[in-house]
Amino acid sequence: MLLSPRLNSLTLPYRPLRLIAGAGIALAIAGLVVLVLLAILATAAGEPSQGSRVDVWHLVWMTTSQAGLSTILSLIAGVALAWALNRLRFPGRDLIVGLFASAIVTPGLVVAFGLLAVWGRSGWVNQAALALTGQSLEVPLFGLGGILAAHVILDGTFAARILLSRLDAIPEKRLKTGQSLALGPWQRFSVIDWPMLQPSLPGLAAIIFLLAFTSFPVVLLIGGGPANQTLEVAIYAAVRLDFDLRGAVTLALVQIGICSVIILAASACAPVSASTGTSAAPRWRDRGVARAAQWLILAVGVLGFALPLLAILFDGIGPGIVDVTSRPSFWKALATSLGLGTGSALLTLALALGIGMGRAATGSPLLRIGIGAPAYAYLAVPAVVLSLGAFLLVRNAGLMPEAAAPVVVLVANALLSLPFALATLAPPLDAIAERRGRLIRSLGLTGWQQFRAVEWPLIGREAGVVLALAFCFSLGDLGVIALFGTEDFATLPFVMYRALGAYRTNDAATIAALMLCISLAAFVLLPRLFGRLTDASS
Amino acid sequence: MHSFMRFALAAVVCAIAFPALAADKPVLNVYTYDSFAAEWGPGPALKAGFEKTCGCTVEFTTAEDAISTLRKVQLEGTSTKADVVVGLDTATSGDARATGLFAPHGLTLEGLSLPWSDADFVPFDYGYFAYVYNKQKTPNPPKSFEELIALPPSFKIVIEDPRSSTPGLGNVLWVQAAYGHRAPEIWKGLKPHILTMTRGWSEAYGLFLDGQADMVLSYTTSPAYHAIAENDDKYAYAPFTEGFVPQVEVAGLLKSAAEAELGKAFLAFLVTPEAQKVIPTTNWMYPVIDIGADLPAAFGTPPEKVLEIDETTLAANGRAWVDAALAALE
Repeated sequence: MLLSPRLNSLTLPYRPLRLIAGAGIALAIAGLVVLVLLAILATAAGEPSQGSRVDVWHLVWMTTSQAGLSTILSLIAGVALAWALNRLRFPGRDLIVGLFASAIVTPGLVVAFGLLAVWGRSGWVNQAALALTGQSLEVPLFGLGGILAAHVILDGTFAARILLSRLDAIPEKRLKTGQSLALGPWQRFSVIDWPMLQPSLPGLAAIIFLLAFTSFPVVLLIGGGPANQTLEVAIYAAVRLDFDLRGAVTLALVQIGICSVIILAASACAPVSASTGTSAAPRWRDRGVARAAQWLILAVGVLGFALPLLAILFDGIGPGIVDVTSRPSFWKALATSLGLGTGSALLTLALALGIGMGRAATGSPLLRIGIGAPAYAYLAVPAVVLSLGAFLLVRNAGLMPEAAAPVVVLVANALLSLPFALATLAPPLDAIAERRGRLIRSLGLTGWQQFRAVEWPLIGREAGVVLALAFCFSLGDLGVIALFGTEDFATLPFVMYRALGAYRTNDAATIAALMLCISLAAFVLLPRLFGRLTDASS
Repeated sequence: MHSFMRFALAAVVCAIAFPALAADKPVLNVYTYDSFAAEWGPGPALKAGFEKTCGCTVEFTTAEDAISTLRKVQLEGTSTKADVVVGLDTATSGDARATGLFAPHGLTLEGLSLPWSDADFVPFDYGYFAYVYNKQKTPNPPKSFEELIALPPSFKIVIEDPRSSTPGLGNVLWVQAAYGHRAPEIWKGLKPHILTMTRGWSEAYGLFLDGQADMVLSYTTSPAYHAIAENDDKYAYAPFTEGFVPQVEVAGLLKSAAEAELGKAFLAFLVTPEAQKVIPTTNWMYPVIDIGADLPAAFGTPPEKVLEIDETTLAANGRAWVDAALAALE
């Protein structure tokens, strides 16, 4: 399957504009990364590199193995949870699905603290154990185990959400056929479900690997010491502690190189047939062991994944809310976050559609990789290098950093969400091109008609997921403008970190809970809204 | 795309409109770290205080933390708009001096409560790195690194990574100053007690308050925050007999300052009683002059035994000490 021409180019509608748009976006993103690195190198020119203070290959090995394990575990958890959630109906299901989707957009630190609130030394589980047995339960949370647990919560739930939407999109006809053939639970999974899931896996795997590879605050928070670290830490130290810009770029190139291998491999895996449809699944329950397994998976999922997130809500919703919401600075940050979120959600959707449609418009594997791969760029470039490069680029362009900050954050947040958006939109877009290409050609639809009449009705719900995802991601990671000097430009996560840095742990907990509420609302409402909009128009 | 354009437009309009409003008065540009200028930090009160007499407008430009502030000035070089940098500390002032971007302050600093001879930087507050614990949970805290090492491994501490955090670096210097060549041995002994090593102070302190660890590397002044702001006196710092390493926060004037006179006046203002009274309950550090009863009793008296590391030794060995500590922990 790898690199083999999967599509007969004769079946694809001729869409040169889509190709050009997709390629243009891809080139722009790749160009931006190159510019960022060049800007830093230009500044470092003349300053000798102090030589690396770290054993790079040791770090690379540790980081790669941690990221590999995180990826495998997250995918297994994601597939299992999606399978269980697709089959089961119960009160509160929407909330659970919303919580799962919210995990990935919640700042990693918050999730880690949620994990500790449940499993930590004075967490719920330990307190319950103390009360029941008088013995405290020592959960070895700090170390590689804790890192993996946090990553699976963050990324496994995200995988579950994406995969669930693939399963929910299985056409009714196929389910009815399967039911009438009396497929067993395993046959049903391998014949009906797996072909739907499989195209999403390479993209998901790449995203999760990159997230785990570059994960930094989480790894340090529960890593338990210097034995568990990532390459990002070394890069961070090179920039900040040593101010060794050339060394930082070298390390960044190592990281980008490794991440590129993963990205290229994922982009090369051409999705096989998948199809799209609405989520009105008929009631077809699995029976016996499979049904029990589904409930068990759900129970473990709720205990392991939903509880830490519920703990965040629980810890933060209290009398402190009055205090936090009585401050004008909170409302200002909220407004900034909502504005940024909306702006970059729209930008993300536009970029993802551009890339996804460009990719789907060609059967050439090389072109497909070339258009798809740069979408992941943002995840491969170390955050501290990005913030440094963005600062230098803006200054070199003669702009005031303070003034450029909102635009830079908007673009950065859109690029951050782009891989996730593409993982959601690319498989259905490919499926449409493959399955309906002939029909579109024979009807002689224009590109716009194709979008309006064929694609939009089929991807509308996914577009809602993308908007929700990008919106929540973009509530405001300000890492990229760390150097911009923007005292007045604060977002909710920023205000949260600020409170955490000034002994105001309770304020931070409250803001984290409110952010999670906003994410939940976005994930529950937006996909529904879009599902309804597109149902009405199709 | 409409809201994107509107956003960009709004940003540009703001950028053009705001400086124009203040154009009638000279502007003193102060670079500092974020929590200094935050609404509950000392920034707002100091700005108001200085503006009463200077006939100028003070504008803060912030970076994530002190080290980022310095890196920002370094990246901008002589084209920086900064006049004054506030918030560098003993561990970074050597680096800052070496950039050649800072000018002598030219002030005669008298009546400071700490010995001071630096011609470039003016101290405005100080504290000591210390391990903070909960008196109710730990009635008998360890009184030295060696006592800490002798405790069972279930006694956990949270520390910060010396590569990314000032207290983390301070901890390395502390062990070094107290134990010299025995430092790696001390680090090896600490290893089983270290629950984790976080990126910054915020995360470490958060873990401690969450009850995940018994002690956290913070400041001798941390208990004062809980006593004053939260009316909660159950926190204290462990009185290590080795002595304590100070962190003195300093401010400096840039050679390239457009408002050098104003900048100098601001540095002088920082050590006046008016400014120093603001510091303790906003930045939670000790004032550098005696402010008498204006220092809340909860701050107690600073520790008596002080360990010093001079700037040259630090510049020559800092990196090696950090690497040795990390190697011992791995």
